[in-house]
Amino acid sequence: MSNEIDFDQILSKYKSDPYGYVDVCAVHTGRVQFKVVNGDEAHAPSGEWQHIPGTSLYEINRERNPKMITSQTSGTVMDIRSELDGQFVEAGEKLMTIRHPLKKKEIIEGILKDVLYLFPAPETAKYFFGLDIQSRIDKKGARSVTIENGDEIITMSLMKRDTPVYYTGEGGVIHSVYFKPGVSVRQGEPLIGVCSPEKLQLIQKIITKVKADWDSE
Amino acid sequence: MPCNQPTQALLKKRLQQEVLLRQTAHPDVDCDVVLRYGGFVGSVIDSHDTLTRAMDHARTHISTVESESGSVKNGTVILADTMSRSKGRFTRAWHAPAGGVWGCLVHANTLLDSSKRFVPLAVGVACCEAVKSVGGDAATLRWVNDVLFGEKKVAGFLVEGFFGPNYGEEYHLVGFGINVNNHTFPPELASIATSLAVELGRELNLTDFTTIFLAKLVWNFGLLYYEESRELAGEVFSGDKGTHLLLDNWRKLSDSVGQRVTFGFDVMTAPQYEATVIGVEPDGGLKMRFDDGSIKVEHSGEIRYL
Repeated sequence: MSNEIDFDQILSKYKSDPYGYVDVCAVHTGRVQFKVVNGDEAHAPSGEWQHIPGTSLYEINRERNPKMITSQTSGTVMDIRSELDGQFVEAGEKLMTIRHPLKKKEIIEGILKDVLYLFPAPETAKYFFGLDIQSRIDKKGARSVTIENGDEIITMSLMKRDTPVYYTGEGGVIHSVYFKPGVSVRQGEPLIGVCSPEKLQLIQKIITKVKADWDSE
Repeated sequence: MPCNQPTQALLKKRLQQEVLLRQTAHPDVDCDVVLRYGGFVGSVIDSHDTLTRAMDHARTHISTVESESGSVKNGTVILADTMSRSKGRFTRAWHAPAGGVWGCLVHANTLLDSSKRFVPLAVGVACCEAVKSVGGDAATLRWVNDVLFGEKKVAGFLVEGFFGPNYGEEYHLVGFGINVNNHTFPPELASIATSLAVELGRELNLTDFTTIFLAKLVWNFGLLYYEESRELAGEVFSGDKGTHLLLDNWRKLSDSVGQRVTFGFDVMTAPQYEATVIGVEPDGGLKMRFDDGSIKVEHSGEIRYL
């Protein structure tokens, strides 16, 4: 967590390049066949339950088990590794990048992620706050709830197995909640963003500044 | 003196039958090895007249043993003839009068993530197999692990993680509630619950049934370790076409595929959508098709048949 923030520098960085760049990597080893080319528009999953898959990006085939991989992000396909088309690749090999135009809300979130301590999801699963924390949030709001290293804060639910998740990190208030009950969170994605109470004012300043200086939604 | 009082001697005797049954059903599987892997189940069988809640009792037990620098026996089974404050998932009530099998298995987790997601399936399969072995041929499994007769639930399970306060060891507290000889249910459960006595038209010896259930748990927990060891050795799983044998058995016992369902993380209070179940993924995820043809796989949540 950084205390010193040069707002002008950060904002000019976002203004000169208002995009997020999402690398698309091979989900496992196998032979890949691309379904897009540079410049194609990719769409994220849609539908009320995010059940309509995003744009097909590539198919990966291992041991006669083909798997279509679809885009999780909306944007433009770039830097596609066309030399790998039809080739066998290792798990994690970068295949292409999707350039995603950032919205004001995403820019605020991006900056906040630099100043908050982000507590990640231990497994791909659904998460909900523990009863005690939830009742404190319901009464006072998340930003009034202080948590400490080792506190049992969240329950992870996977295949009807509920496991307590203990917070590890600097103590502070829960500034941002990145999960919704009933919606899966991928392993490593942030569950909550935490900051010390004295930083709340600084963070509010960031939000106000971005909202004032950023024209488009 | 508790009524439901299985012993290790009874379990050992039952396992001698179990190995023969399994060898017949799975001639290509080393059934002795599977049962050895699961042999920790019932290492201690702690029977009580009554408890408030077996899961709470297990947590207290773990904390007490660890605070005395001891080690909790993996596979400890806690049973109670009645429980006064039993509950289901979320804030749901579970009625636990005399006549049922109420309790908790303490499993010190040494499984990899890919295997431990099958723990809830293992307990559901074990119960469904036990029910069928006493004549409940019509019993089925509803994803993830509800055991049903028709649309009525005869057994439900909870798996809760718990970390020992002293050593940080991860335990699975596998809670089970099986309606065996209890005939009556509170009004709010009467239309959705049933018991073995109601379905079979006769009462069962509670200790005998619990012993069978524990033997089935030995096999199914053993399978988790057996299949994991095969995978780590680079071998294929033991089920049909190389699928995980536990999942294979689950599929044979379940009638979820093909059902029109309501899905929800907490389906009773917050149903999310309707879809048709079209399969179960190799990792246990439920594959559903929406009316517009799109497909979604869920790994957490519940269904109710429509």
